[in-house]
Amino acid sequence: MTTTQELQGADGRTQRERPPVPRLRDVLRAQLRATGFALRVPVVLAAAFAVLATLNVVLGVISRDGVTNIHAEPSPLPGFIGALLPLAVWAREEHFGAGFLWTLPVDRRRHALIKVLAGWLWMMGGVALYALWLLVLALVSGGEVLPVESLMILSAPGRPSSPVDPALLQTVQWAPGLLIWAVPFAMATATYLCGSALVLGIHRPLRWVVGAVIVFAVASTAAHLASPLLGLGWLEGAPESVVSRLFEGRYGLEALITLRTWSLDTRATLTTGEVVQIWSAVPDLHEWVIAAALWTGAGLLALWAAASRHRERRA
Amino acid sequence: MLVTLDSRDDRPLYLQIVDQVRRALLDGTLRAEDPLPSVRELAGELVVNPRTVSQAYRELEGEGVIYIRRGQGTFVAPNIHPDRRERRPLVRGVAERALIEARRNGLGVEELVTMIRELAAEDGGERSPSTTAVRSGEEGGAA
Amino acid sequence: MTHTNASASDYAVSTHGLCKRYGRDTALDQVGLRVPDGAVYVLVGVNGAGKSTLFKLLMNLERPDAGTAEVFGLDTGRAGSEVRAQVGYVPDRQDAPYRSMTSARLLRHAAAFYPKWDHAYADHLTHALGVPPQQRVGGLSKGETRRLQLVLALAHRPPLLLLDEPTDGLDPVVRRRALALLAEHLADAPTTVLMSTHHVHEVESLADHVGVLRDGRLVAQMTREELRRTVRSYQLEVPDGWAPGELHAVELRRSSAGRDVRCTLVGEEQQVTQRLTASGARVRQVSTLALEDAALAFLSEDAS
Repeated sequence: MTTTQELQGADGRTQRERPPVPRLRDVLRAQLRATGFALRVPVVLAAAFAVLATLNVVLGVISRDGVTNIHAEPSPLPGFIGALLPLAVWAREEHFGAGFLWTLPVDRRRHALIKVLAGWLWMMGGVALYALWLLVLALVSGGEVLPVESLMILSAPGRPSSPVDPALLQTVQWAPGLLIWAVPFAMATATYLCGSALVLGIHRPLRWVVGAVIVFAVASTAAHLASPLLGLGWLEGAPESVVSRLFEGRYGLEALITLRTWSLDTRATLTTGEVVQIWSAVPDLHEWVIAAALWTGAGLLALWAAASRHRERRA
Repeated sequence: MLVTLDSRDDRPLYLQIVDQVRRALLDGTLRAEDPLPSVRELAGELVVNPRTVSQAYRELEGEGVIYIRRGQGTFVAPNIHPDRRERRPLVRGVAERALIEARRNGLGVEELVTMIRELAAEDGGERSPSTTAVRSGEEGGAA
Repeated sequence: MTHTNASASDYAVSTHGLCKRYGRDTALDQVGLRVPDGAVYVLVGVNGAGKSTLFKLLMNLERPDAGTAEVFGLDTGRAGSEVRAQVGYVPDRQDAPYRSMTSARLLRHAAAFYPKWDHAYADHLTHALGVPPQQRVGGLSKGETRRLQLVLALAHRPPLLLLDEPTDGLDPVVRRRALALLAEHLADAPTTVLMSTHHVHEVESLADHVGVLRDGRLVAQMTREELRRTVRSYQLEVPDGWAPGELHAVELRRSSAGRDVRCTLVGEEQQVTQRLTASGARVRQVSTLALEDAALAFLSEDAS
């Protein structure tokens, strides 16, 4: 009604406040909602899977009248989920190019990291539910909550010759304690950070993963063929040893997601004809803590570098 | 009041709006103390820049034709009596446009005036232009 | 107040020597755009003239190869997020984000990023433009997506609107409604508009500033009044063998039939007429041009 007056004011120098940028906490809240929305399909699938798994366990308990214990060998499931979740978080986001996300009034690097954080919070919630589910199953069926495992360790060093003499075996009690409950959270976090860095930092992460596998195969073959020709003995198997250190080393990926329970134990036949699990060493939780710290640190660095590809300022 | 703009009209848009308000006063569509559409309404209706509308309203306000009541809107001045003096700018505008059109076609002033008289005579003077304008104006006002 | 402060705040948008290349293609070449505060500035140019690139640089979605850009005195490269908080942006692309969200959910999501978001106004716009709120964004038609993008740009009442072909993909009725809403929007709060459009005639009565981009260069930039005053069509009667001579420099477009020549020339009418008369031509008629014709004259083949 009185716009004539207002416009007269507008024709002169207007003194107005600049619209502010949103508070970071509001951005996080919005991204939590948007990420939660984007993750609803994987969540429904996970819920369905959980129902099936529960049924399976319950049926097992009823039929065999057994109990469900919490095992010291952790399931690598949270690790795999952590690695794959970034694909779901960023699936609808065009993070290379002029996507909607980048037109919003938030510093782009910060915005990317906030979105990663939002996905991580959802994942932590999911892992907590998973841990709770395990706990409830154990409690309801009357199983152990803090595991104590009896491991058969080969006292003589070296690879066990088959069949194994039972006299060489020694039974050790392994009780990892409360720390075992931190393992799924930490492994999921570390793999999630690495996966996020990959998804955020490169255009087509799946192509790079496939490409890396091909490069490894080619390098391995080339080293195998070239080492006798060049007289470089160390070249033979060098690519394999690098990769195996990355995956199976003391602080490798396998240590992160299984506490090395995959590589430390072997199935062996005893001279008595019995087939048992034999461990070459007891899994070391201190080493796992270092592995988790290393992978988390590497993931954080990679994530920072990846997010920096989207930074605002000119170099 | 129904304002229409003519894209072929060479004059600035705000003057076209000023003229249409003047015309509405003359033909009685607008009377003293009548409210005018707000700048927002008129800008939206005509899809013109609101500044153009407020420029027209300022011009009219300066002439004392309309006034602004704070917080209530824009109204026709209470003491407005359209008379011969008010009609003059309007007639002048119409004549100017006719003259330009005539020159554009290489016609003389006398030819034009003669033809206007002839046409008016053919019409018989029953439907004087001013009554037609009032009728269409009222329809417009009601719409 | 110092001079630099005053000049910075007089312009809602100003760029200095802005250049952008994609490989070998030059998208923008030394562009010095000046959009005064409160203006409705229409950017005219053919596809690929660099309009969308200019908008992206102003949003800091891309980085210029040279030059700087300021929005309300804020450097777009240094304060990208602050700049974007001042802007309502309708991008050239016509796909909406988050295809599985409903329009209403997407609007709520966007609202979180703009503390000044006006929910009632967003509802009003959604209704007035006919955006189906409960429809999934991925299921919207091209035109509906465009309308949703308009709501996203307007609902936080930003001081600057960057509208890249805002009425593209809309049918004529909705186009007019959208522009009417824009006119009302401008009346409600002081807003600067920088828009590009293929339908220049539709914004004839909204625009008060015009810029013409040609092959990445800003070949003309002036107020609507200046354009009306200095770009006119002259109808001439010329002697046989008439040559325009020095007038060629200000000529934008010419067509002739026998001794009748019609040309569009740049300059004050009085001076241009004097020069035409001096060259031997008789000026029969001078007429102003519609915004679209005047702007397009700068894009014609003859324009130098």
